[in-house]
Amino acid sequence: MRHLASYILTRLLLAIPMIFILLTIIFVVLRVMPGDPVSAMLGDRAPLRVINEKKHALGLDKPITAQYVDYLGQLARGDLGNSMIFQQTVSSAIGDKLPATIELTLFGLLASLGIGIPLGAAAARRRRSGRDFGIRLYANVVYCIPVFWMGLLLQLLFGVVLGWFPISGRTSPRVTSSAFSWSGFYTIDTLRIGNVAAFGDVMWHLVLPALTLGIVLSGIFVRLTRANMLDVLKTDYILAARARGIPERRVVFNHGLRNALIPIVTMLGLQFSLLLAGAILTESTFSWPGMGRLLLERIYLRDYPTIQGVIVVYTLLVSVMSLVVDLLYAAIDPRVKY
Amino acid sequence: MKRLFTLLIVLGLAFSVSAVWAQDTLVYGTTDKVTDMDTASAYDFHTWEIFQNVSSGLLAYTPGTTTLVPALATGYTVNAAGDEYTFTLRKGVKFSNGDAFNASVVKWNIDRVAKLNGDPAALVTQYVKEVDVVDDYTVKFVLNGPVSYLPALVATPTYFPMDPAVYPVDKIVKDVGELTGGEIAALGPYRLTSFKRDEEAVFDANPNYWGKEPGIKKIVIRYFADATTMRLALEKGEVDLTFKSMNPSDIADLSKSGKYNVVKVPGPQIRYICFETSESVFKDKRLRQAASMLINRPEINQKVYLGQNAPLYSMIPIGMSYHTDDFKALGDGNVAAAEKILKSLGYSASKPFSFDLWYTPSHYGDTEVNMAEVVKAEMEKSPLVKVNIKSAEWATYKQNWNNKQMPAFFLGWYPDYIDPDDYTSPFAQTEGSKGMGIYFTSKAWDDLFVQEQQTTKDAVRNSTFGKIQKMWTDEVPTVPIYQGNLYVFSRKNVTGVKIGPTLIFNYDQLKFTK
Amino acid sequence: MGVPAARFSPAGGLANALGWFTRTRRKYGMEWWIMIAGMIVILFVVTMTVFPGLFTRFDPNDQNAGGQMKPPSSEHLMGTDNLSRDVWARVVYGARTILGVAIAAALVSALIGIPLGLLSGFAGGTFDRILSLIMDSVYSFPGLILAIAFAAMLGPGVINITLAVAVVYIPTYFRLVRGQTLSIKEEVYVEAARAIGARRPTILSRYVFPNVIATVVVIFSLNIADAIMTEAALSYIGLGLPAGIPDWGMDLSMGKKFLPSGMWWMITFPGLMIMLLALGFTMLGEGLAEVLNPRLLEK
Repeated sequence: MRHLASYILTRLLLAIPMIFILLTIIFVVLRVMPGDPVSAMLGDRAPLRVINEKKHALGLDKPITAQYVDYLGQLARGDLGNSMIFQQTVSSAIGDKLPATIELTLFGLLASLGIGIPLGAAAARRRRSGRDFGIRLYANVVYCIPVFWMGLLLQLLFGVVLGWFPISGRTSPRVTSSAFSWSGFYTIDTLRIGNVAAFGDVMWHLVLPALTLGIVLSGIFVRLTRANMLDVLKTDYILAARARGIPERRVVFNHGLRNALIPIVTMLGLQFSLLLAGAILTESTFSWPGMGRLLLERIYLRDYPTIQGVIVVYTLLVSVMSLVVDLLYAAIDPRVKY
Repeated sequence: MKRLFTLLIVLGLAFSVSAVWAQDTLVYGTTDKVTDMDTASAYDFHTWEIFQNVSSGLLAYTPGTTTLVPALATGYTVNAAGDEYTFTLRKGVKFSNGDAFNASVVKWNIDRVAKLNGDPAALVTQYVKEVDVVDDYTVKFVLNGPVSYLPALVATPTYFPMDPAVYPVDKIVKDVGELTGGEIAALGPYRLTSFKRDEEAVFDANPNYWGKEPGIKKIVIRYFADATTMRLALEKGEVDLTFKSMNPSDIADLSKSGKYNVVKVPGPQIRYICFETSESVFKDKRLRQAASMLINRPEINQKVYLGQNAPLYSMIPIGMSYHTDDFKALGDGNVAAAEKILKSLGYSASKPFSFDLWYTPSHYGDTEVNMAEVVKAEMEKSPLVKVNIKSAEWATYKQNWNNKQMPAFFLGWYPDYIDPDDYTSPFAQTEGSKGMGIYFTSKAWDDLFVQEQQTTKDAVRNSTFGKIQKMWTDEVPTVPIYQGNLYVFSRKNVTGVKIGPTLIFNYDQLKFTK
Repeated sequence: MGVPAARFSPAGGLANALGWFTRTRRKYGMEWWIMIAGMIVILFVVTMTVFPGLFTRFDPNDQNAGGQMKPPSSEHLMGTDNLSRDVWARVVYGARTILGVAIAAALVSALIGIPLGLLSGFAGGTFDRILSLIMDSVYSFPGLILAIAFAAMLGPGVINITLAVAVVYIPTYFRLVRGQTLSIKEEVYVEAARAIGARRPTILSRYVFPNVIATVVVIFSLNIADAIMTEAALSYIGLGLPAGIPDWGMDLSMGKKFLPSGMWWMITFPGLMIMLLALGFTMLGEGLAEVLNPRLLEK
């Protein structure tokens, strides 16, 4: 246990350099951007004196290095600062939208695994068959479909033509989220108060966005699963299992797939980044109130602290995810010890 | 896996059925955004619309018309010189939180708007010298000079009284959460009970409203990131009504389909190109004339807007007093006349007149880029012209025009108050012109503007505006392109959409029919 | 020394290449065909880039090419768009834009990432550790978000977008090349070279680099596919190329508005082309990978 705890701590600490590096890049990038947030904030009729006062109040007239050091100090204290444009802390702005993005991304991950793994396994079972070729073609094609196009097609087909699913938002307009909103993860919140109808509504709204992400990213898992399965199916212990007369289905799924999954787990962390990226486009298409939209809006408004905060949070998300993945890996693979 | 899927569908269908039951709520979809929840700073269409529904002014327009009627004030008198307006206030009016409304509230607000000096502050500071509280229910506006259209000004949200106990006197409020009590204390037919930026805004009927109760008790605004999704949402029934802004192709489809109530609002919202007249390549008014001759308004209207708007030949909109089509004289796509000017200035095919034409990609909707492309092609019909299209997001765009970085740029205008002055002086009167990045200045023009602003005599204003519009085609500080129609689509059971030339959308007029 | 002359004659070189082709085809079957298919698509698009006139007589910016929003017909193979421009012409001329941006971005990434990877792997020590840390951080971060931040900062413009896209892929080359360098560094022949006194640059260029090329080529191809998708995504958000340049990504987002009205050709054709080109490079990359080094991509 002690080993595990220290392992987790070390890993989390390693996230710090990553945050530091990305933050530096973004910090510099932002300050070099054209577009003055202060005059955008105060309006173009504000006199120069007022603009300069505001700049001073926000610390924008200090040299970049000084601003940078200030911000780092702030971060070290765990304070993401205040939005430059709105009267809110960056943490509350992000806290509002973060659960929506995480929910979408997680369900998208589930969808892509749910589609990718079975397909990959099916392809591996009949190597070089028409089925194999078809599935591999699917995997490659699907990754090359722009996410927002996929979203629009799903909206049209399942949302409008067939009318099965909603095409925008996290809940129906007549369902007031404030009634159950607690953590921001609506799936959990609705179950927490036992409101099954609302839970259904929330899940129903998740289907199309999650599928959009899921289909486009399933291709990667198809390939991974297939490749790993192929390897595993060639191994001695599979041969032995077959020799012992175990039915092929059990051989493939119990013995083969389980072992093939291990490398997939290690890839989950990296794919999470892809999902986060894809989520931005999905959020735009489905008017999903998440971090992607927040980021785009604040870039537009030149709200530096919020943009920086969003980058920090994304970095943390990725780090945490890769830590979770490592732990999962340790749980699955008995050879790994801490 | 299959079972989960079926369960989802069943739940979903069950839910969609139940959603139809709750018909005392109207869902209104829009792609617009809220800027600041503060009348001292908000200067955009949608935020003003919200204030027009949760608040009231001293005077208001009868919905769908340009007739001003008493609202928070029961009447007013003007002194002989025309520079003092005394309003008698309605008694017994309370904010939704119970606070009393009286003359000192009115004064507090005007003072606050002037002091905070936000975007719309000029609407106050340009005209109002001070506000005096005569007694609890009488308030006097002392103006800088006679202003014939002060009643119209008083009906703009910038003049709306907000609750001093709720709004901070010394800073601009962006979000509802910053207010004392966490809510805008309402004087209007609705209260804003909840607001999640870019997600939704929920309005409930205000129990303390001094006027008639609204037809629909609860209105939910859903904010869409994407017009296409909003169209699909309307078709699906996820929203009951949409206003601002559908794509032209969606407007055409929805209008033709016959499944929706379509209200076409021919409002005075105009689009035009501004020229930086003091230092850029457009210093010479002849080049400005040449550029405006090359623009082909009917073509722009057809190509970009599928014919849904109206070509405009004056900065004063069609339907407003004193409008005359003076720009028709310069022609549409008048390549010959333009080339004559350009050649006389020494330009040729080998040495073309080259300039940057700017647009902003999302503030006015995403048809902007198409309009820029079409105008570029129209201008380059003459080989003597070369246009470089550039774009900048709104924040940078505003900064650019302040820094004289854009020789020619697209802009749009919604009415602040219904008067031809609002469509002319902000661009060509010296002070205003600076603020709009045009930097045009002329004593002759300024004198004319002062003349029309101070007189209430129709004949005088008529001849003054006639002169101004004619001079506009000579100096061309801006060139008008089109006047837009706005479209409201609603399900068949929604009626009561009454939007007049003021473009004010009163939610309290909406009704469900059975 | 003792190098056969044939290797340096064009005829000999061609014979070698052909021989390689037929040998690999026999050996790899399906993968070979995939690679060829990818190459055909790419060649097709490249021809469009170099000789657009062969494919269409319309100008992509001509706003009077035909009627407005007309469906595909014999005159306009892919119909006309909302500004009455010929869609097929925009596809043909858009090819050079997207190919240009994607290849340029990939080149920039490679030109920065590869030397850094070589140096870092070879030099080792603190320099390597710090550089690796930086590259790993950027690598694990969602690329599109980085591209968005850069594109927003730099503003619209072909060069700016190219740079924004390029930044995202530098770590990919770095990591790959560094890894290869590390393993090759340990090989006997490198030790031998060092023993006979070869200088570092010589070792890098003569021994390490050639072995790295094969992998780099594969990654380059996949990189281009990815760059194409990233550019389309930037256009969708509105951070793409400025107006006036025919661009598949821009047409894709423009066309999106017309799909619910039934005007499917405005989004479908640019979309298909993006897909096809990205797919082409992907298949080329994968095919090459299987052929050159079968276990390369199974990570």
